[in-house]
Amino acid sequence: MSHTDPEILALRALGETAGDPDDAGHLESCPQCRAELARLAEVVQLARNDGPLEALATPPPQVWDAIAAATGIVLPSVNGNHATATADHATPGADRTAGGPAPVPDSRPAAPGAGLRAWWKRRPLAAALAGLAAGLIIGVGGAAGVAQLTQAPAPQLVAHIELSPLPAFPQFQGTSGTAVMRATASQQVMAVTLNAPSRPGFYEVWLLARNGVSMISLGDLNADHTGTFVIPPGTDLDNYSRIDVSLQPFNGSTVHSKASVVRGSLPAVALKQA
Amino acid sequence: MSFLVEQVSDEDVSGAFSSGQPDALTLVYERFGPLVYSIALRSLSARSDAEDVTQQVFVSAWRSRGSFDRSRGTLGGWLVTITRNKVADALRERQKNSRVLLQVAGRATVQTPEAPADRVVDRIVLADELAQLPEAQRLVMVLAFYSDLTHEQIAQVLALPLGTVKSHIRRGLRRMRSSLEANGVAH
Repeated sequence: MSHTDPEILALRALGETAGDPDDAGHLESCPQCRAELARLAEVVQLARNDGPLEALATPPPQVWDAIAAATGIVLPSVNGNHATATADHATPGADRTAGGPAPVPDSRPAAPGAGLRAWWKRRPLAAALAGLAAGLIIGVGGAAGVAQLTQAPAPQLVAHIELSPLPAFPQFQGTSGTAVMRATASQQVMAVTLNAPSRPGFYEVWLLARNGVSMISLGDLNADHTGTFVIPPGTDLDNYSRIDVSLQPFNGSTVHSKASVVRGSLPAVALKQA
Repeated sequence: MSFLVEQVSDEDVSGAFSSGQPDALTLVYERFGPLVYSIALRSLSARSDAEDVTQQVFVSAWRSRGSFDRSRGTLGGWLVTITRNKVADALRERQKNSRVLLQVAGRATVQTPEAPADRVVDRIVLADELAQLPEAQRLVMVLAFYSDLTHEQIAQVLALPLGTVKSHIRRGLRRMRSSLEANGVAH
């Protein structure tokens, strides 16, 4: 006889007793159909064991902001609307940022991709779909419900800082970057992304003091030009208030190469909040 | 019968991404952001780490989009692979930090970081595929998985023709199976 009807295989994978004795007989003798049944049954087991499938979690908006900033696809908007949107999404206790003005004055023209971003925000398709599935699963799964993925508290966004090239370095014009400062109860973390081509050497991130001489090295950017750094506890950010990314040659020297690729300033408002 | 794999959708997103269209990354992020973030979150159990990994995955994917070959796999599968690598990196980093802490504390044992369990990733991939199904089909699949209803009873409850329900189940299971295989985590 021919191979088992795929619909019968699917129903059998779900545990139903579908098909007639001929189907059962064929399944006994046909490794191809048995293998297909096993493949479908694995899906059913994965979906059923450990409770109903959990709805997917939607990443918070600052993740897209950081991606957009790092890729340069959409320049990060740091005007009031954006800051409010970020604060609105923040978790309880984020009143540090709520209602506050944008931490960085924005003198740039509107980003060319601003419309795109708005379009994206208007159509959180994946989120809606995931939510729908969650509703269904809760409805059917009953007591099993949908578990919370995690209860870990989100760090608070303290500041979103644009990094720009300095006029003194024409070779770095067109480069951009962002630094996102976040604070938890115990530490301050800065995530830096640089939108720059790979060059001989490596990129290093510094905090510069107001006197323009003292500096603290936070560390090197990864090969994809991103990096997350813990601000050394006790750092006086009122003084070390400028972020600098340098291009360092591979010469073993630990001091700043004096080749500043981009810079940005911590906004005063963030310093008070931090 | 044939064992041809059915179309796994997402072709448009994948095509836009491959050709580097300006809005492609927003499309890709909209479609796969929750998948990547959920895997990172379940693997790392810390929102800030999961956010960092999610960001790294999409930035890295965009920068290396030239190396994505549609003929060799799905965009979702490619992104899941990148996610697994970034999660492994984050766990290694965590281990390095904890080793330092433990050494400072005078303790000798250091736990090896665990790679994200295949099963965890598998279930997130299935949840993602389930969420992509058309509404009626998704409802059929949810009832087939989690209710005690037979396919005949599902047809009655939803007032759908029996053939439609059977077809939804067959195609739905096949599609979920394909997404597992595309993500390279099924055995």
